[in-house]
Amino acid sequence: MNYNDLTRRYFTAAASAGELTGPGVFRGAAGNREKGAWVQFDLQVQRGAVSAARFLAYACPHTIAVAAWLAEQAVGKPLRPVLPESVQALQERFAVPVEKTGRLLIIEDAWLAAAVPAIDYRG
Amino acid sequence: MNSARPNTPHPGTTQMPVYLDHAATTPVDVRVAARMAEVLRSESEYGNPASTSHDYGDVAGALVETARGQVAAAVGAAAAEVTWTSGATEANNLAIFGVAHYYRERGRHIVTARTEHKAVLDPCRELERRGWAVTYLVPDAEGVVDPEQVAAALRPDTVLVSLMHVNNEIGVVQNIAAVGAICAAHGGAWLHVDAAQSIGKCPIDFASLGADLMSLSAHKVYGPKGVGALVVAQRGETRGRGRVQLTALQFGGGQERALRAGTLATHQAVGMGLAFELAMRISSVETVRVAHLQQRLWQGLAALGGVQRNGSATRSVPHLLNVSFEGVEGESLLAAIRPYVAVSTGSACTSALAEPSYVLRALGRSERLSESSLRFGLGRTTTEADIDATVAVLAREVNRLRKIAGLPR
Repeated sequence: MNYNDLTRRYFTAAASAGELTGPGVFRGAAGNREKGAWVQFDLQVQRGAVSAARFLAYACPHTIAVAAWLAEQAVGKPLRPVLPESVQALQERFAVPVEKTGRLLIIEDAWLAAAVPAIDYRG
Repeated sequence: MNSARPNTPHPGTTQMPVYLDHAATTPVDVRVAARMAEVLRSESEYGNPASTSHDYGDVAGALVETARGQVAAAVGAAAAEVTWTSGATEANNLAIFGVAHYYRERGRHIVTARTEHKAVLDPCRELERRGWAVTYLVPDAEGVVDPEQVAAALRPDTVLVSLMHVNNEIGVVQNIAAVGAICAAHGGAWLHVDAAQSIGKCPIDFASLGADLMSLSAHKVYGPKGVGALVVAQRGETRGRGRVQLTALQFGGGQERALRAGTLATHQAVGMGLAFELAMRISSVETVRVAHLQQRLWQGLAALGGVQRNGSATRSVPHLLNVSFEGVEGESLLAAIRPYVAVSTGSACTSALAEPSYVLRALGRSERLSESSLRFGLGRTTTEADIDATVAVLAREVNRLRKIAGLPR
């Protein structure tokens, strides 16, 4: 399996791996470990923006790298009910093979499961 | 993560990965490489081994026959029973298709096991497409095929049983001698044994195993790639049913007693012969050394917790260890350790999405555990330092991936 430099870097570092607790934290997960891919995001929201983000993933290197990148990129930006970058753009940025598009959709589902309930939060 | 060339460290690392994939292939022994180079450079050894009309041919022919004798001696066969091939895959194909077609009027049933190498399973599947029936035996949870399973599967129209000696993924040694006796008693079923993984790892004696056909490979034994052999028994009369006969698969010169046409590659045969001779010289001390390393590796990995050994611990060669890691996704595990350790994974990367090992699935392992398994192949150059470095890398990366997965360490 080939991985581009960005995928290698974020898979290896996975700096945003972990969980958040406390007020303003919204959690969303998707996928199933038994089926080979599971992703969870914790988004901490303050005044309509993401103040912290963490992820967990039982998945391939592409999935881990994309989740780690999203968690890093989201911090400090306004929370919106969509992925910070489209599935297609992520696929290109991380050179994700087309056979793995489903993994990106799991990431999207996990992200939306955390983000959508947080949209109206004004803590 | 395969951007690094094999002879350079991966980016971010300073050392070459530890090579623990000796079951896939081995480095050519320097003595073998030197002898092969001598043959290639020689001004008197380049003749066609089949040319009997001049000394050049005779010299090359003598080299090939010496090598044939070396291979035969290493496996307890007669030199005349050794047929050169391009490797074990060709030998398996010649054995399976050769027997199936020669005896097609007598019967069209074959017995094999689900844990065989693809070089046996794929020819069997092709024969199924052509109208033959194949029984695929399911081993027990430790990878062992009970000879009684073979006995129960035999039918009046069975013409071939194909069972490997040492499994290439889990290292389990099958009781071939018992299967040989069962086939002999049946009377109509010839026994083919894929012994590509056996040489130099455990004793093997073609005659006493009761096998009729045996596939061999050079590159698993520190010899060159591109050469192997099929041993074809010539002692059939003693079993009261004549010699095993094969229909040739290729034609054009009648070499190798018309079983395998084509000019022989003298240097390849010489390389395989020497590699097999050297393998026989490996002392029991070396086997004990490798067994010690395997035990050291297993104890180190087992200490991580959540690991399962695949295949029988008591009926395996010491050179192979197959382990599943719970709570770790297979592709990520391989990618994480790739810069540091060269091993085989329990999945077949036939596409971007890996397929779990059919061998481990046959043992009853789940898809996830099959995918998160690694095959460690130990060899002559493996050291304690290699094992300790491998355990350290696995400990770090398995714990890291389990943490990322939100699972307890």
